[in-house]
Parts: sequence; C-alpha cells; structure tokens
Amino acid sequence: MTAGPHSVLQARDVHKAYGRRRVLRGADLTVEAGQLVAVVGENGAGKSTLLKALASTLRVDAGEVRLRGTLGYCPQEPVVNDTLTVDQHLRYFAAAHRIPDLRRADELVDLLGYRRFRRQAAGTLSGGTRQKLNLTLSLLHDPDVLLLDEPYQGFDWETYLRFWELVADLRSRRRAIVIITHLVFEQDRYDVLADIVDGRLTRREPTGKDHHAGI
Amino acid sequence: MPASDLLQSPAQPAGGRPAAFGQFPTALRFAVRNQTRNRFATLLLIMFVPVWYLLIMAGHRPLTFRLFATGQILAVDGGHLTLISAGLNAVTMIVGFAVFDAIRKSMTFDRRLVFAGYRQTTLIATKVLAIAVVATAVAGYTAAVLLAYWRPGPAGWSAIFAGFGVIALTYGSFGLLLGVLVKNDLEGFFLIIMIGLTDTFLQNPLGNPLANKPILQWFPSFAPMQFAVGGSLGHTALWRHLGLGLVWAAAFTIAGLAGFCLRTRRHT
Repeated sequence: MTAGPHSVLQARDVHKAYGRRRVLRGADLTVEAGQLVAVVGENGAGKSTLLKALASTLRVDAGEVRLRGTLGYCPQEPVVNDTLTVDQHLRYFAAAHRIPDLRRADELVDLLGYRRFRRQAAGTLSGGTRQKLNLTLSLLHDPDVLLLDEPYQGFDWETYLRFWELVADLRSRRRAIVIITHLVFEQDRYDVLADIVDGRLTRREPTGKDHHAGI
Repeated sequence: MPASDLLQSPAQPAGGRPAAFGQFPTALRFAVRNQTRNRFATLLLIMFVPVWYLLIMAGHRPLTFRLFATGQILAVDGGHLTLISAGLNAVTMIVGFAVFDAIRKSMTFDRRLVFAGYRQTTLIATKVLAIAVVATAVAGYTAAVLLAYWRPGPAGWSAIFAGFGVIALTYGSFGLLLGVLVKNDLEGFFLIIMIGLTDTFLQNPLGNPLANKPILQWFPSFAPMQFAVGGSLGHTALWRHLGLGLVWAAAFTIAGLAGFCLRTRRHT
C-alpha cells in the first residue's frame, strides 16, 4: 500500500468482526484528492462495514483510519427525520456544519431536481426523493472526502445522470469520492475499482485508464 | 495521528462568516416539535385523562393515608385520593410514551447530526428543555381536568399540579432513558405501563396490601404523591418530598444522557 503526498483518506490493516464472523480482515485503502474510487463486493461482503469504519461511525477491532480534511458520509438507508420537512432538514444540518448560508443546499436541491418537495415532510417523500435528501445532507458542507454507500438506489435515469454531473463537478474541485456498490455498470467512470473479497480489498485491473491510487 | 486530529474543527464556520442557523435555537425548536408531534399521545391526553378519572373514581369511602414526613395519619376521602393517584398514573403513561417514542425514533438521526458537527451538549440540553415543556403542559392539563371532579382549593390544586409536574419530569426522563436503551416499541411501552401502573397503584391505600408501608418510599411516585396529598388533604407543604421527586427525575436524566452520549459518540 502506498500513501502519496496527496492522499486524503488512508485505511491500514482494518479488522472488524461481529461475534465470530470476521467481516474485515486487514482491509487497506488509500484515496487521493480528486479521485473517484469504487468499492465493489457481493451482498454481505463487508462493504458497508468498511465505509462505516472509514467514516468512524463504527469501532474497528484493529487497524487505523486517517483522514485529511472534512468528511461527508451518505449512509445506505436514508437517515432522515420523517416529521421534518426537506427545508427543516437543510436548516438543521446547516446549523450542524455552521454553514453561513443555504446557497450550496439550494444548488444541490436544484441539481437533483426535488425543489418542489422542499416543504414536504420526509416521511411523505418517495424512496428516491428521500435518497436525494440523504445525499444532499452529506454534501451540504462541501466536504473534502465523500463516502457514499449505494448512493443512487431508487434514482430514476434522469437523476442518475445528474448524480454523475455532480460527481464530475466534485472531482474537478479535487474532492475525493468513495462509492460503495454491489454492481458497477460503467467501470470507466472510476479511477480505482477495488473488490472486497474475504475481508480484504483487491485492486481490479484498470481498463486502460491512468490512475494513481494505491490499495 | 488519529483521524480526529486531522478533521477540520467543526467549531469554525466556513470562510469565517457567522453560521446562518444557531445550533441551540434550531435544535430546541425541532426538539419541541419532535416531542409534540405524537398525535396518539395527544389524543390519549385529551380523551384519556377525563375518562380515566371517571372510571377510576371509587366512591367516597374513607381511607387513611400516612404522611411520612410528619408521621401524621390523615383520614381522607378515598375518592379524592384515588383521583390524585389516577392523575399521577395518567401522567406517567402519557409523558413516558411521548418522550420514549420521540427519543427512540430520532436516535439514528441525532447520531448523524452529531457526526455532522452538532455539539452533543446542545442536543442534550434542548432535549431536556423539550421534556420539561411537555411535562409541564401534560401536568397542567391533567391537574386542570381534575377540577371537573373535585375542587381542592387554590393551594391544594397547586400542590397537585406540582406533584403531577414532578412525576411528569420523572417519567419523561425515564422515557428518555428507555428511548436510548430500548430498541423496540413494544418493550418500551410495556416497561412504561407496567412500572407506571405498579408505582402509582402502590401509593394509593385503596385495596393495597402495602398501604402506608415504608417500602413505598423507594418508588418514583412516592414523593409526588406525598406532596400532592399533603398539600391538598393535609394542608401542609412537604417541600423536601418535592425535592426527592426531582432527584428521581435527575437520576433518570443523567443516566439517559450518558446513554445518549455513548450511542452518538464517534469512534476514532
């Protein structure tokens, strides 16, 4: 594993077991600024566990995670409050991040195309719109490193394409993105593809694209 | 270097400009809203309290009630005593349910807020304030409805209201503790019903083998019952007992908030 001078996220020899079931058995990952990394694996392979470990929402048994800069984490299941409206969520998380205004929030809501639901309670939103809100909340503070767990679940085709526009914009501003997915449709979009097998990450051979990440 | 050392301090707003939304007022507004959104609890409160008083009224047979602070044995109207214990019981269930439900359902969301940079102390303080608002409102309503059945006079009614307020705070904090610890609705509701019923039933000497026994002092509703009965039927204000009731509320609050801190902590 190599950590370059531009690495913003580094996981080294991460172990995690649930009882006797060892899910992560020495996972290593290095992500550099501006990189788009996919962590791919079967159901139950430990993808979400790895992402939670990277986001420090889960205590690991051994290993180390280092982060440089701010972090945004979008969990697989939307973590929202069903009684609050979209606007109230935006204000709540703007307060959490101590953001001076809601300009970024407005941009994200427009880009993801759910402005008309801003005054609607999260509990009444469709699955796709809840996921848009879930994603927006993780991006509100324009983090340096973004961890996304199956981020486009429930998106229609138009939103899926807008999601990739958003990713392109983030990368152009040197934001690092790690996406967890069980299926990769368009491998060329990624700088690095890493398969999680037996609790470890294995770098998939590149498809003719130059990249710099080390695993 | 651990990850936390490398994180940008969330205390600094982007670009040095002031934050658009203060953490405390934002959290307080949404915490009160979260506590009061439970329509089932509101319906229970409005419908249940007068019906409960009506059902529980056990005639006016004479009973004896011991005021532990003074050692005095009061000869009282059993109907009035039962109204007080029924009110205490209604408050335990309504406030306990409302707080438990609101806290349990928002735990994951609160955790996300903390990870996004919300201070745990701010969220905790606003939750406690929201519980106090709900507890005062429920106690006030329950004490007001009691006037339809019995007029104990201003001083007596104030003592009953204070007793209801303290038990509301106690079971509100108990709901907070359960909301943090218990993962399923059924377990939490069952615990609140069983503990609340047992606790308040035992304080009433009517048909109770433990009537006026010292063991009653070890239950959360002991002090509020003593204060309410002392004030309304014994014409005495047992302030020490009101304080003892607040100790129960404080103990549950501290335990619940410690659990909240543990459940929302970052693992770095």
